[in-house]
Amino acid sequence: MKKYASLLMLGAIVIGLLAACAPQTVTVTVEVPVKETVEVPVERTVEVPVEVTPTPVDYGKVTFISTQCVPVEEAEKMRGVILADFPGQVEFVPADYATFEDTVLAEVKAGKGTIDVIGALHGQFPTLLAAGALQDVSPLLDEVKDRGIPEAYMELGKLGTDTQYFIPWMQATYIVAANKQALDYLPAGADPESLTWEQYRDWAKNIYEATGEKKVGFPVNGLLHRFLEGYIYPSYTGGMVTTFKSPEAVEMWKFVKDLWQYVHPESMSYEFMQEPLMSEEVWVAWDHTARLINAFKERPDDFLALPSPSGPKGLGFMPVIVGLAMPVTAPNPEGGKALIEYMTRPETQITTLREVGFFPAIQVDFPGYVAPGIRAQGEAVTKQAAASNAIPAMLPVGLGPRSGEINKIYRDAFTRIVINDEDIETVLEEEAANLQTLLNETGAPCWPPDPPSEGPCQVK
Amino acid sequence: MKRKTSYSRLVVRGLVYLVAVLIALWILIPIYLITIAAFSPKDVIYSWPKSLFPQTISLETLKFFVSAQYVLPSLRNSVVVALLTLVISLVIGAPAGYALARYIFRGKDIFRIMILSTRAFPIVILSIPLAVTFMKWGLYDNLISVAILHVAMALPTTILVTSSVFVGVSKELEEAATVFGCSRVQAFTRVALPLALPGLAASAIFTFVLSWNEVFAATILTLQNRTLPARLFIQLAASPLPFRFAGGFFILIPAITFMFFIRRYLFSLWGITLK
Repeated sequence: MKKYASLLMLGAIVIGLLAACAPQTVTVTVEVPVKETVEVPVERTVEVPVEVTPTPVDYGKVTFISTQCVPVEEAEKMRGVILADFPGQVEFVPADYATFEDTVLAEVKAGKGTIDVIGALHGQFPTLLAAGALQDVSPLLDEVKDRGIPEAYMELGKLGTDTQYFIPWMQATYIVAANKQALDYLPAGADPESLTWEQYRDWAKNIYEATGEKKVGFPVNGLLHRFLEGYIYPSYTGGMVTTFKSPEAVEMWKFVKDLWQYVHPESMSYEFMQEPLMSEEVWVAWDHTARLINAFKERPDDFLALPSPSGPKGLGFMPVIVGLAMPVTAPNPEGGKALIEYMTRPETQITTLREVGFFPAIQVDFPGYVAPGIRAQGEAVTKQAAASNAIPAMLPVGLGPRSGEINKIYRDAFTRIVINDEDIETVLEEEAANLQTLLNETGAPCWPPDPPSEGPCQVK
Repeated sequence: MKRKTSYSRLVVRGLVYLVAVLIALWILIPIYLITIAAFSPKDVIYSWPKSLFPQTISLETLKFFVSAQYVLPSLRNSVVVALLTLVISLVIGAPAGYALARYIFRGKDIFRIMILSTRAFPIVILSIPLAVTFMKWGLYDNLISVAILHVAMALPTTILVTSSVFVGVSKELEEAATVFGCSRVQAFTRVALPLALPGLAASAIFTFVLSWNEVFAATILTLQNRTLPARLFIQLAASPLPFRFAGGFFILIPAITFMFFIRRYLFSLWGITLK
């Protein structure tokens, strides 16, 4: 009987909870100019002008889904700081690529949506365009035309068509962060601002020989695939895909194995390099700017931001362009447009840089209040892009939902060659076959730094 | 001879305890490690070698989760969805289980198999059509829709578990109750149900935990009204280690608390009484 009673209790609690958790209604007060009719003894209707104080525009609820700024801290900064001044209520929804794509495509199929603004990497838009999910955002061009967004970036936003589908929002790249203590061990004659990868290895070696510790780190559990695709491959082979198993690639892998002797063994578990840098477990690290930013923010005097090193073919680097678009089913298109305009304002762009470490996509002067560390990071980014031997490598484009698979191929090659010590030629031959299958099945043509191709990109 | 049997009995007993301890450790060690990592400062988590005992206690990462804007509403969503799922699947599942246990009807065996077949569809493949359907019905981004899907996932186990629970409740007891003047319904509510309660509680735990841990359906069917695991899962996968531990701990606690409260029913199912 007692048990029976407690079951009843449980039921009562459930019902109580349900009642308490009923969807809350949001009351929106709209000020409507009031027309008052006043009866005057003369039997004349007089319109009394009612004083309306200009109320700030409120764009209402805007839903913003993004594949960027997903880590908990970055997402919280988006909500709490970056989006705080927008005249409206922005619901920021961070999502991984698969969920993001499923959700947007489902809304377009249902013909009824909740999402107003999409923030995604340049390479993530083509699938959405192919499904007819993207709205023409040309009406916004007028508003953002004097923001100084580089023409090349705007062109990317057309996704190979004549219509503007996304507005560049922010950019990021990968650089080297170095603890100033490490500078004492630089190889003779090396300029830290323009190192070669060989000098980078010698630097790691010098540190190891002098201190007995391996103080150079890589985010193997993080974005290592970008190091392989966009940095070391282009620097040594001039390409990313076509040169995958070239003789230069074999030399490159020999170099990576050589370098790896002096790399901190904990690299296998690093995801973000800022933490091991701050705990001084490593002194020198390569990573995404957003994943180094805390080191520069918290200890600007201790760390140097350096451009990535270069190889025999040049300085391979990967600029990451993030764009803002709108789905055709946006329920609040006016709010969506206003949000895109807001996100590309110089002050918002500076806040974005300061809070989450993504660089402005627009021309801005870094004002005095930007922390020196971040300013240094910005300068390293600019130097890297402006280097005379720069080889910009784009994120894989045209692989659609399978863009994760190409990363796996590069990572597998790394694990097999560097960690498992397998034969370089054999591994490259086998992984090249996987790469070719992926390219053939998706029909993706070559993207920079590989020369343009007709039909699927071919591994030579 | 006698000594030998008691010796081997001792060995068997020892082995049973050993296995029990191993199983307990298998579950407790990860929970322990997550817990101490959740209470450690960031640099300790990255340091090597790792210590098995917390040196310094820090609430830094946990505080982040408590203060993050969406955590408490998501936590509430999770509880609501899990309880809704639990109630609906018991309301639908228990009578079905009772029918399977007590009555003989045509197609009973096929029915039994058909129930399980709903689990044969991989939900990943159904994701876009499901989301589209829910959107068209106006149920998208709604806790009810998540609960409905979780019920669909939980029902097969609920029905099969409750049916075996009712099989275990002697039919003669119910018949005796009717002899003493109970109606059919009274015999069920006064005799069969109290006896079946521990089993129903066990099946309720399964349902609750299933709903609590489910991420995929919750992610695809909601955007703003996400359950806590759905909201955290994606973000934690891309977050630094200290936040993963704190987030993991944060998700773990409510489920453990729930089980702690319901365990007395579970134990009485096994014939252990707790006072």
